[in-house]
Amino acid sequence: MVEIVFLTPFIAGLVALFLPKLIGRSLLVLTGAAHLTLSFMLWRNQPQAIFDQYFAVTPEGMLSLLVISLLFFLISIYTVGFLKESQIQSESLFTGAMLVFLSTMTMVTLSDHIMVMWIAIEATTLASAPLIYTHRSAASLEATWKYVLICSVGIAMALLGSVLVAFSMGQANAGTPISFSALAGVAKTLDPMWLKAGFVFILVGYGTKMGLAPMHTWLPDAHSEAPSPASALLSGVLLNCAFLGIFKTNKIMVAAGLEDFSGGILMVFGLLSILAAATFILKQNEYKRMLAYSSIENMGIIAFGTGVGGLGVYGAVICMLHHSLIKSSLFLCSGNILLGYGDRMIKNTGNLIKVMPRTFVAFFAGFTGIAGLPPFGIFIGELCIIVAAFKAGHYVAITVFILSLCVIFAGFANQIMKISFDECDTVIKIKETAGMVWPQYLLLLTSLILCFYIPDSLNQTISDAVIAIGGGLR
Amino acid sequence: MFNPVDIILSFVLLSVLFSFGTDRVLILIKLLGFQGVVVSIIPFFIGHDMSTGGTVFTLVTLVIRGIVIPLSIFVAIRKGAIRRVVEPIVGYHASILCGLAVIIGATYISGRLDIVSVSGFKLLEPTAIALLVTGMFLLMTRRNAIAMVIGYIMMENGIYLVGSGLSVGTRHIVEFGILLDVLAGVMIMAVILRNIKQTFDDVDTALLRTLKD
Repeated sequence: MVEIVFLTPFIAGLVALFLPKLIGRSLLVLTGAAHLTLSFMLWRNQPQAIFDQYFAVTPEGMLSLLVISLLFFLISIYTVGFLKESQIQSESLFTGAMLVFLSTMTMVTLSDHIMVMWIAIEATTLASAPLIYTHRSAASLEATWKYVLICSVGIAMALLGSVLVAFSMGQANAGTPISFSALAGVAKTLDPMWLKAGFVFILVGYGTKMGLAPMHTWLPDAHSEAPSPASALLSGVLLNCAFLGIFKTNKIMVAAGLEDFSGGILMVFGLLSILAAATFILKQNEYKRMLAYSSIENMGIIAFGTGVGGLGVYGAVICMLHHSLIKSSLFLCSGNILLGYGDRMIKNTGNLIKVMPRTFVAFFAGFTGIAGLPPFGIFIGELCIIVAAFKAGHYVAITVFILSLCVIFAGFANQIMKISFDECDTVIKIKETAGMVWPQYLLLLTSLILCFYIPDSLNQTISDAVIAIGGGLR
Repeated sequence: MFNPVDIILSFVLLSVLFSFGTDRVLILIKLLGFQGVVVSIIPFFIGHDMSTGGTVFTLVTLVIRGIVIPLSIFVAIRKGAIRRVVEPIVGYHASILCGLAVIIGATYISGRLDIVSVSGFKLLEPTAIALLVTGMFLLMTRRNAIAMVIGYIMMENGIYLVGSGLSVGTRHIVEFGILLDVLAGVMIMAVILRNIKQTFDDVDTALLRTLKD
């Protein structure tokens, strides 16, 4: 029963649209808990799907699903506290959209059919649009418009790419189902020209959704305008879902022996994203936008690592895991800061360490993690990627990579110091309740534990995922 | 010689040219409906034996692409009394010239591509490519938000046409899922259009430039 994992939140989401506030909030947390349990059962048993030509449990999908589930559960706990403090007009629409959004993202991780993957990714765009428009302001309307239009057009490119991949099957494979696993099996008989064209379109399409430069323009707007729990979901898991589409297509490319082609393009887009983030993060004056650019940077790192191959893929997956955990906790902290100071601008905040000490701990710890300081997970991931790139002889690319990371670190650190220690006489508007800081602590703690100890079963899933595209601890 | 499909596809190519030159949103919507109808009846003419399910599916596609989608945009305009000129960034004459270039380019490219098409129709690939590029052109060169949504739907129509020329047909259930997504997307865009109109009192996307770095 693979399908039940995404059907449960879908039904709960539809029900939540008609429930009063308080019941809706508890339904959110309950569904989060149920989803987490179901995901663990799925991971333990690895059952066959009922519609097995469309859905399958794959290692890379399973990994993303576990992250989504854990994140959603913790974020849903935070959301209850958040909703009490903030004034949201149509709360039932918000909770309903959150749950449907969870359902569509789960569907992305479980889909094996190349077109069902597209359907699911487009559905995530549609389900998350109401979340971004929650505040009903002119700015949030603009962000929603850009998000829906840019992502829909981008994802239309991915649809064209999927059709082209289906083209590459030609007459010889007429009976093969158009699923990622089946296509990887017959990859050698596919027409390389159509496959290459399909990959480029899919990369541009899902890359738009993933936030790769130069298609990233919607991302800072959407992340800054959405309420913080939604931003945390967008950044922590939605970007991974889009990456999953690219990752799975890359699997076919590797099986077809075209990894040099796909790897090269992935590296170029990755570097462009890191450069774009480095350019914009230096002069950033809003903290949520700054976090959004940091997400673009991390997506760039992940794409770059996947393109490098070998140890780099392992590094990319490690970065993906830790980025999700740390960045979502940072966005939740930004929600506390926004509620506390009532302002998005960095210059109107300050002295976080005194006025909101519990948020400060999570915020600063999150910063050290995401900036790639040793011994945290992002550092290990980046180190793997750098070593792999040196081994493969991409000296120029890796120089640009390292220099940009330094610039981003400097810009990021500068802003974080201002928020944390600058003088500020604003009166804080909220109390830091346990429900609004513990989810962040737990997310960071999970990340910290995973730096030192990865359970064997999880390690196995990670290596299964990376081996398929020629990666591993080599 | 000439078969009926090539003849109606040539009308689609003409409508493409027309949509480059028109300044009225309403005409664009009508053209969109026409293109939607044509691309959804193409499967009737392609060799497959049509099962009952296939026929029903094709008719549903026809209703959604040809009627529901254009109508929902039309309703969004009517309720909001939105301004009806497309506000081009590239002028109309230059646009028509671009349109000609697009059609010639599309024909040239599809001649070069060695597509194993089961259909045997000469104009299927050129029309599909022309629709795709026209959609993108409208998205880039019109500041009116409605014209942008129309551009997006034209792109989708083009992709659907590419897909219908496939020798390996995907299952109807999958195509239906895609159609449902597109429909939901257009509905959401229509809601946003109405809100943009209410908030800014216009649908000029030049107003939507406050968020930037």
